[in-house]
This record gives sequence, structure tokens and C-alpha cells, in this order.
Amino acid sequence: MKTDYEIIVVGGGHAGAEACLASARLGHSTLLITLDKTNISRMSCNPAIGGLAKGHLVAEIDALGGEMAKIADSTGIQFKMLNQSKGPSVWSPRAQSDKIEYSKQMTAVINQQPNLDVLEDCGTDIILENNKIIAINTKNSGNISCKALIITAGTFLNGKIFIGTETQTGGRIGEQAAYGLTESLNSHGIISGRLKTGTPARIEKDSIDFTKTTIQYGDKNPAPFSFQTTDFHPPNVPCYLTHTNTRTHSILERGFDESPLFTGVIKGVGPRYCPSIEDKIVRFKDRTAHHIFLEPEWYNANQYYVNGFSSSLPKDIQLAAIHTIPGLENAEFIIPGYAIEYDFFPSRQIYSTMETKQISGLYLAGQINGTSGYEEAAALGLMAAINASAKIKQIEPLILKRSESYIGVLIDDLITKDPKEPYRMFTSSAEYRLLLRYDTADRRLSEKAFQHGLLPERFYLTVKSKEKLRHTLIEYIQKTNISPTDINPILESKKESLLKSGVILSKILKRPSITFDDISCFLPQNLVDECSKHQNLKNIIEVDIKYEGYIKRNLSQVKSLANNENKKIPSSLDFRKITSITKEAQEKLFKIKPETIGQASRIPGVKPSDITTLLILLSK
Amino acid sequence: MASQANTIVALSTAPGFGAIAVVRLTGPISLSIISTLTNKKAFKPRLATFTKIFYKTNHLDDIIVTYFKAPESYTGEDVVEISCHGSQYIIERIIELCINEGARNAEPGEFTKRAFLNGKMDLSQAEGVADIIHTQTQAAHLASTNLLDGHTGIFIKKCQKQLIDIISLLELELDFSDQEIDFTPKSKIENQLVDLQNTLQMLIQSFNYGKLVKEGIRVPIIGPPNSGKSSLLNAFLQEERVIVSPTAGTTRDSIEESFRRGGYQFRLIDTAGLRQTTDSVEQKGIERTNKYIQQADLILFIIDPSKPVSDFQKYLPNNLDDTIIILNKIDIISESQLNNKQKYFKNFNTITISAKTHNGIHRLADKMVNHIKVKRPKNENIIITRKRHKYSLINTKQSLEHALFSIKDNQPSEIIVMDLRIALDSLSEILGKVYNDDILNNIFKNFCIGK
Ligand SMILES: Nc1nc2c(ncn2[C@@H]2O[C@H](COP(=O)(O)OP(=O)(O)O)[C@@H](O)[C@H]2O)c(=O)[nH]1
Repeated sequence: MKTDYEIIVVGGGHAGAEACLASARLGHSTLLITLDKTNISRMSCNPAIGGLAKGHLVAEIDALGGEMAKIADSTGIQFKMLNQSKGPSVWSPRAQSDKIEYSKQMTAVINQQPNLDVLEDCGTDIILENNKIIAINTKNSGNISCKALIITAGTFLNGKIFIGTETQTGGRIGEQAAYGLTESLNSHGIISGRLKTGTPARIEKDSIDFTKTTIQYGDKNPAPFSFQTTDFHPPNVPCYLTHTNTRTHSILERGFDESPLFTGVIKGVGPRYCPSIEDKIVRFKDRTAHHIFLEPEWYNANQYYVNGFSSSLPKDIQLAAIHTIPGLENAEFIIPGYAIEYDFFPSRQIYSTMETKQISGLYLAGQINGTSGYEEAAALGLMAAINASAKIKQIEPLILKRSESYIGVLIDDLITKDPKEPYRMFTSSAEYRLLLRYDTADRRLSEKAFQHGLLPERFYLTVKSKEKLRHTLIEYIQKTNISPTDINPILESKKESLLKSGVILSKILKRPSITFDDISCFLPQNLVDECSKHQNLKNIIEVDIKYEGYIKRNLSQVKSLANNENKKIPSSLDFRKITSITKEAQEKLFKIKPETIGQASRIPGVKPSDITTLLILLSK
Repeated sequence: MASQANTIVALSTAPGFGAIAVVRLTGPISLSIISTLTNKKAFKPRLATFTKIFYKTNHLDDIIVTYFKAPESYTGEDVVEISCHGSQYIIERIIELCINEGARNAEPGEFTKRAFLNGKMDLSQAEGVADIIHTQTQAAHLASTNLLDGHTGIFIKKCQKQLIDIISLLELELDFSDQEIDFTPKSKIENQLVDLQNTLQMLIQSFNYGKLVKEGIRVPIIGPPNSGKSSLLNAFLQEERVIVSPTAGTTRDSIEESFRRGGYQFRLIDTAGLRQTTDSVEQKGIERTNKYIQQADLILFIIDPSKPVSDFQKYLPNNLDDTIIILNKIDIISESQLNNKQKYFKNFNTITISAKTHNGIHRLADKMVNHIKVKRPKNENIIITRKRHKYSLINTKQSLEHALFSIKDNQPSEIIVMDLRIALDSLSEILGKVYNDDILNNIFKNFCIGK
């Protein structure tokens, strides 16, 4: 067996999968260590990819040359564009996934990837020399040396599962937990904490009476996640909507004294945006019903995910409560809902490259950063690998700005905000939301991805020619005048007010009810034909023009803040010794040790005057 | 973060009593700002130039401008020093004019900071500079802590909370549209924003009242020659509680006397004194008078009713809202003359007196008190007194305006939120920054999120 790799990835979840693929594709001999080869990229929770803000992340992963979007496209069984009634910057794709097929296909991609080996084992100790990673010790295969180690252990480190008063160890139901790594990291000065998350029951399809539920399909004209996907014809498998009632709630209440959540047995903090059903009925007492979505876990699944019913109450209470829900009167468990508590490493300990500040060559990525969600994990895994590679190759790291990507917002927030609960991506976390539309991810990121060697040239060239076409068309629309006689018939058919004198075409397209197709007859036919060949390009151009003014405003905001954003703060600076900043700033800065003035300015409690002082001291 | 490229403005002499004040500009557009304000094209570096400065086409003050070209200046940037008369009113107008032309208010210690960053100071001074900024910020912080504890602070906090709530409603709709939640109709959000806007307007106006209380009410006595201006001033001085010490911000070329009544300090400015200056041409006198009218909080316009309208017409202020029209000399004039002028001013706030016999002086003083009293905000405890706060509130209100426009224009929520976030940032300059986490907390607290 080979015992010497450039990059080793520990953990085969969504972060690990992206990390090991990126590493191998960037030319490094790579090893993926996973507890179970058959569980690579398993979806531990709901059978879905994307969703609000998460869909944006998937598109960015795709533009950077990651794998998630492609696999999600080929294994999705129902696609929906969310938020379509809202403005275009918050449209976000989501898909129900076939979770078995997803894992299978990702595993196949990994197995076929040159440069990449997979080892079934458990990493237990990190081995350092001069504070630099040189190897990892494993349970069964001994020491394996590496230049960079990326830990993507998800919920497995000291994972503990709770169902009522029963507890068991495990990283996921039915899978063993991983031991050793947390303690090893702790012994080298890296701090860990505990977080909690939960998942609802899975029930037998044949025990559901679907006639009592509302059927819900996906979009008739589905849009893929990946800009590389062509010829897209996914199935449209429905979900089913039902709801809890007061009987459900009173049965659940009976189990509260056996709830590990309420009795304080679970110490970790759970996500408030993804509360358990017991949490919901306690906090929102006057709600008499909560939605429950029944989601198939794969194509033709016999197993359904009870979305909205996450719980760690005793099994019998869960089941009794489920039986009060219309359609689920005779539901049978395949797996009950459970909560899981696991170790994470507060992200103030990492640089924006995902490398730990304490140990050179050690990267932490995914749920252990204190995040939740497959998409967040995948993005972080990908970024860790790109930057581990950059470090080995001694090239510039890839640090994405808040103004160019949700991934940049994600990493920056993790580092500067020191979140108290698992971090989830929200569009509201991005201050330049208008610049970060999901359909502009390729425009924003592919240049960088190509330069870092992750995006194949042919895709990069596609993006470039699409961009060129977009520019040409936009310029044409902004320059071409149109006469009232030509345009008024169209305006009339759209019940828009008519023109008395000629205007430029872009003015017409700015009207809310006018679409690209309405004005395409005034554009060069060859360009329009070309445009139709690119996924979604007409719509992209339409939105670019309609929101031009607002986008410009966002851009100028970015510009005005750009001055000191990237000014480096030397790691040797002892913030506690700076007496001319506020006490609070001293403490916060010392704790987080920001790398740049930009980061420092986003730490809650650090005031603009503190930043001024820092700038002055730095110029010394 | 403040951008280095900005041009900033600040009063650089200590505020308060002083015949001469110096307002300083530093940054790339300093020179073009002063050129615009003085209608002058060029200033020679390091040469003091005597010129006039204008406010809304009116002559505001005579000033001395000295331009220091980068890098030969205190900050190492283009610096302009404007020496003006030390009146609070003039200083504030000059700063306002500079801001209108693209400068912004300097942060505490910002001039020093720039001097330092541009290598104008010895490196060993760095700590000292940082300490200065620290001290100044502490002082500012203390002032805002005092504010926070008071009624006004609590009130502004409430406004901030309202704004956070509105933003939360919109963000809720954007980030949690897949949840089982009733979203708030735009019309309701619009109403809430309008309410908030009105509240802010009230706060902004309270600044003016707060200033009246703090600095006294400027009351020029205007009228044609021989209408009784000096006599009226004397009558006040004999009848009312006169304040002897000179008031902060007294301009040196006016005759000013103060008295107290109803809790207010009235600063009477006798424009008659102007006749004794070198201005011989009448036109020039009128120009002067106009200047006082501009600075006035309340105008006493005095006439001799026995004279024809043509006697006083050219002295009449344009806007008579803040004017009390005094028909003087009732001890000697005829009923018909009085009636005639009363008719002429029938839509205005008039009073009849005799400056000579002091008949009606107390009534007039009461009228003046009442005139100010009605400007009192509904809640007298809620008054802002700092200019910085006023500007923050004005900016907040302006961004709300933009957001309201977007709502009317049927723009999507993320566009509306964009301006509301800017509004929140402006408001937060008074109370401290609000992070997205605070918004999310608010959402999680108030809405049942999570499937
Ligand atoms: N009889 C009478 N004479 C007055 C009255 N007020 C002013 N005068 C006289 O009018 C003349 C002009 O007054 P003065 O106060 O100097 O007017 P100014 O030029 O407006 O300051 C003086 O001779 C005053 O004595 C008044 O109420 N009654």
C-alpha cells in the first residue's frame, strides 16, 4: 500500500468528495480516507440539493469546477426554481435527489479519477514537525505521510445519537463514530466545541395514504444547476403535503420530560432555522398546525422523508404523534427521527484559505467548520483543496470576495462572526445580493477557476464566448433607437403605454412586462440565434438590463469599500497590547486574529475608530 | 471604512465663543469646492485671499481663504482653510455648503490620521496619534452613551427596532419563502415606512428646536429707518430680564442684547446699528438686512404706520411665517392710519405697541414666547442636539424615501431592502452597528421557521 501522498482528505461526505476530486484534478497524488467506502457522499438528512441561497452555492461550486451540480443534475428527480415571484437575484434552484444514485455516481467519479486513492480506515492522530503537518496516523494502516491534510469529518467526530432517553454513539444512524482526531487536534492547541442537529423519521411508502395529502410536482420546464449540463430531461417525481394538528402537538408534549433537548442532555447548540417539531410547538404555542412534506428518498422509493418532523423524542411518542397526521395514520417507521451531537472547530481558527492558523498544512472543511448543509460543506471542501494545492504549488491562494460570491460570504462570515449555531447560507447575508445571482456564477468565477486549473478549458471557453455574446447584445440594446411605429404594436399587445417619439431599446426592455423575446425582432437575427443556444442567456440579458441602475449602485458600493479591504494584518500583531483601541475590540481581535483590515472591520464589536487606529499602527 | 480619497470638512478651532473661526477642508476636491463656493477660479498656494462666500445666492460672510497644495500641507493632501466670523450660524452654513459640494463631515481625529498616513508625522508619534483618536472617540462614545440612556436614545432605538422589523419582514419573504408563513403585503410595509419617515422628520425638526433652546433665539429687529428699532430694543432692555454676558457665537458686527422669558433666551439683534458702519448706500443696508433675515429664528418687523407702504415694502422679508409685524407708535398715530396698515397685514401676525411708552412690550414678549413654544416637539424630552445625529437622521430618511419609491415602482423586495439597509446603516451611526445576524435573530424570534 502507498503510504505517501501530497494531499490526504479525511472523511468522504460532501466536503470530502469535492476536496479529494479537486486535489486530484489539480495534479496532486491524493488519498481519501473514509470509514465506509459504500457511504461516500451520502445525504444524511433530506433528499434534496439546493434551495434558497444554497442553490447559489451549488452554481458557484459548478463554476469553480466542482462536482456537486453535475451529479445533482443527473440524479435529481424533481426540479423547482424557488422564489420566482421575487426579484431575480434571489431565484434559486432546488432539486429532490435520488440519494442512493447521488452517492453511487459520486463514488464512481471518485473511483475513476486518476491520482486519487480511497482507503477505508479511520484517521486518529495528526503528526507534525515544526508545527507543520507531515502525516496522519490511522487506526489500521499506520502513518501515511502528506504535505497537506484536509479534515472533512462531518458529524462523525465523537458523534452521539439521541432518541428520547436512549443514546448511542455514531456519526449517522447505523454508522460508527470517529474517535481520536478531535483529541489529537486539541492537544495541538485547536479548540473544539459541540453542535447539534437533527433529522426526521423515514417511513414506509406503503404505509402512507397519499389520498389524504396534497400532491406537489416540480417545474414543468426544469432548469439544471450546472452551466455545463445540456440535454436536460429529469423526471418529475412528486412530494406530498400534509400537516400536524393539536392532537399531534399534545402527544408530543407528553414526551417532553424524556426529550434530550429539553432535559439538557444535549449540550450542543442546534440550528434555529431547522428546529425540531418539539421546539416549534414550544416556541410557537399558538400555531395549531405545521406543514409536513413527504419526500421520496430516491426514484421509486419505498422510503419517505418526513420533512418538518425532525425530532429526538422517544420512538413511541414520535410514532404516536405521526399517526395523528392525515395520511400517516398507519405509518411505519423505517428509521425514527433522531438528534446528533458532534465536534466542530470554531472557524475563527482558520484563515480564509481554510488552513488552520495554528498548524501549517492542516485544513478544516465542511460541517466541522460549524456549518450545516451539503452545499455549504461541498463549497468549503472545494475551497480547502484548491488552497491546499495552491500552497503546495506555491501560487497565490484563491480567496473569494464577499462581493463576488456566496462562498466568499460564507467563509468570511464563518471566520469573523464566530457563529453560535450551525451556519447556513442565507441570501440576506450577502450585502451585494444583486451582484450574486445564481445565473451569473460562471461569469463571476470561471476565470479564476480556470487560472487555478480546475475548470477545463473547453468550459472556460464556452463561458467566454457566452460573455462576449452577452456584451455585444447588451451594447446593441443600449445603443439602438426604435421608432414609435415599430414598437407601439408590441407595446399595445402588452397593454403598455405607447410612445410618441423614438427611444433606445434598453428603455423598452426596462419596462416590467417587456421580455427579451418581445424585442428580439429588433436585434440581429444571427446573434439572437446564437443566444438561444446558451442556457438561459436571454433571461440573463433581460435581467442585466432591467436592473442595470441598481447593479451599478451595488458596484459603486463595493468600490467605495475596497480601499483597505485587503490590507494585511501581520499575524505577529498582538492586539492586546494596543491600548488605543476599545477593550472590546482588543478582546475580539485577539480572539479572531483577522488576516485583513476588511475582516477586522466586520467583527461585531470592532468600531470604525478601532480600524482607523489599526491602519495607523500598520503603517508604522 | 472611510475611503482615503474622500474630501472631509471640519471646524478646526474650538467651537464656542470666538471672533474668528477656521473651517478646514482636506482631500482631492478641496480646491474645487472652495472655488465653487466663492465663484473664484484660482487660489494661489499659501496666499491668504479675502473673498465673499455665498449661501443660496446670498452673501453669507466675508472670509479669508488659504490654500495649501499637496503635499505641502498639514495632511499632505490639498488643504483649504476658511477663516470666517465665529458665529455658529455661519460656521454651520459653511460646513453645510462644503458637504453639498461633495465633502463629508470628518470623523474624530481624521485630519491627524491623514497627516500620519501621508507621512506628515514622525513615526514615533504614531502611538500618540492613535491615542488622540482614541480619546476623541471615547468622548464621542460617552456623549452617545449619555444619549442612549436618555429619552431620545430610547426613542431612536425604537425607530431602529421598527426599521429592523420592516427589513426582517422583507428578508423573511426572500430567505424563507419556502416556509409556511403569511407574508406582509407591500402596502402595509409602505405605511410603516411612511410612519417611520414622519417620526424621523419630527426628530430632525427637534434639532432645530433643540438648537433654539440651547443657543438662544436669534431675533433681528428689521424695519425702515426711524420706524423705532432702537427704541424697541431699549424698551425690551428696560422691561425684560437682560442677560449681560455676551452669547456664544455673537458676530462682531451686530449689536446684540439678550433677555430671558418663558424659559427661552431671545437674542435681539439691532440692525439699526448697521447704519453707523461705513455702508452709506441704502442698497447695501438692505443686503445686510437680508443676511440677518436668513439667520433669524424669529423676525420682528417694525413699521411706523403713519408712513406709506413704499416706506417699508423693500425691507419686508420674503417669508413672513416667522415674522411678527409690529405697528409702532400707537401713542401718536391716528386710528385710520392704524386701520389702514392693519388691513394691509390682515393675514399676518401683527401687534400694536408704542416703543416709547412701552405700551404692549410685555404682550409682544409673550407673543414671541408663544411663537417658539408652538415649535416644541410633541414630547419635549425627545430632542436631538448633535449635528452629527441630525445628518444621520437626514440620510436615514433619504434612504427610506428611495425605498418608498421602489415600492411604488413595484420593484422586488431585495431592491427595497437595499435602500432600507443603507437607511439602517445611517441610523446605526447613532446607536452602533446592526449585523445581519441581528436581523436573522429577529426573524427566528418572531416567525416559525424550519420544516
Ligand atoms: N411717539 C413715538 N415715537 C417713537 C416711537 N418709537 C420710536 N419713536 C421715535 O422715532 C424716532 C426713530 O426711532 P429709532 O428707534 O431711532 O428708529 P430706528 O431708526 O428704527 O432705530 C425717534 O425719534 C424715536 O424717539 C413710539 O412708539 N412713539
